[in-house]
Amino acid sequence: MSIKINIPTLLYQYANGQRVVEVNGSTVGECLNHLVKQFPNIKQELFDKEGKVHNYLDIYINGQSAFPEELIKPVRDGDELHIVLIVHGG
Amino acid sequence: MLTTAELGRYDRQIMIWGVGEKGQEKLKQAKVFIAGVGGLGSPVSMYLAAAGIGTIRIVDCDKVELSNLNRQILHWDENIGRTKADSAAEKLNKLNPWVKIEAIAEVITEANVSQLVAGFDLIVDAMDNMPTRYLLNRVALAMDIPFFHGAVSGFEGRTMTIIPGKTACLGCVYRGRTTPSEKFPVIGITPAVIGCIQATEVIKHILGLGKLLTDRLLIYDALELKFTELKVMKDPDCEYCSHLVNKD
Repeated sequence: MSIKINIPTLLYQYANGQRVVEVNGSTVGECLNHLVKQFPNIKQELFDKEGKVHNYLDIYINGQSAFPEELIKPVRDGDELHIVLIVHGG
Repeated sequence: MLTTAELGRYDRQIMIWGVGEKGQEKLKQAKVFIAGVGGLGSPVSMYLAAAGIGTIRIVDCDKVELSNLNRQILHWDENIGRTKADSAAEKLNKLNPWVKIEAIAEVITEANVSQLVAGFDLIVDAMDNMPTRYLLNRVALAMDIPFFHGAVSGFEGRTMTIIPGKTACLGCVYRGRTTPSEKFPVIGITPAVIGCIQATEVIKHILGLGKLLTDRLLIYDALELKFTELKVMKDPDCEYCSHLVNKD
């Protein structure tokens, strides 16, 4: 299954400058793991030490929040994920 | 009642279908509270002042620093060391002497926030930290005041409009979470775009025109020049708004 992950401007430096990465997986967690497999440096930006998605980060599937338990949420071929960080600047 | 000078000053926007003299009078009667006059607050307050919002209250406790000047376009070299509230008020008064600018150099706290926003019709979030945003979100909901959220980092920004009792609030989006660091990277063009969208929403709300950016978090990606809308659902367990009676 081919899923597109949109990498935000705040993280694309960890994805070799790519803004959209195609991954395979049947859940959000599998997709993120496939992203990490392609770009290992992005792992620490996505997950905490316990392997949970960072508290200040959200995953959206086709424009809708995957919260709660986002990592086990199923995805289908052609779905689009957005990684969204909370930003506080003004 | 608009004066002859005001009719001349706002002529081009009075021409817009749906605005007219009646709409301009609404803008004149409006009282807008802007929390922060930094990167976001500069464009928000400038465009609202230029459009003829009758009363604008700006609250910012900070003083102008050299590192602000890449983005906080209301503040200039000569203002370094001066309070941002005073620096902004001076420029806004010159930009449009027909609007009333109230400048307050205070920290927004739980103790003073209700008093600061009392009597104002709309609240604009132009803050630089999440705790004060949540405070403003809470008081906006409690006092039934529409709230216009904006935030930026680097080449990215977010914005959303909140109508108390009707739409999702800041708590529904961010669930009370904060961010790890205080100092954030940013270039002026990013808050310029987000601030203009916030000002647009304020004007639309006052005029009763168009469709507001409610229940949608708009993500601005300057590098791809792309806007992405993410759907935000009203959270039935939201600690900020779940107790409110739905007005729909």
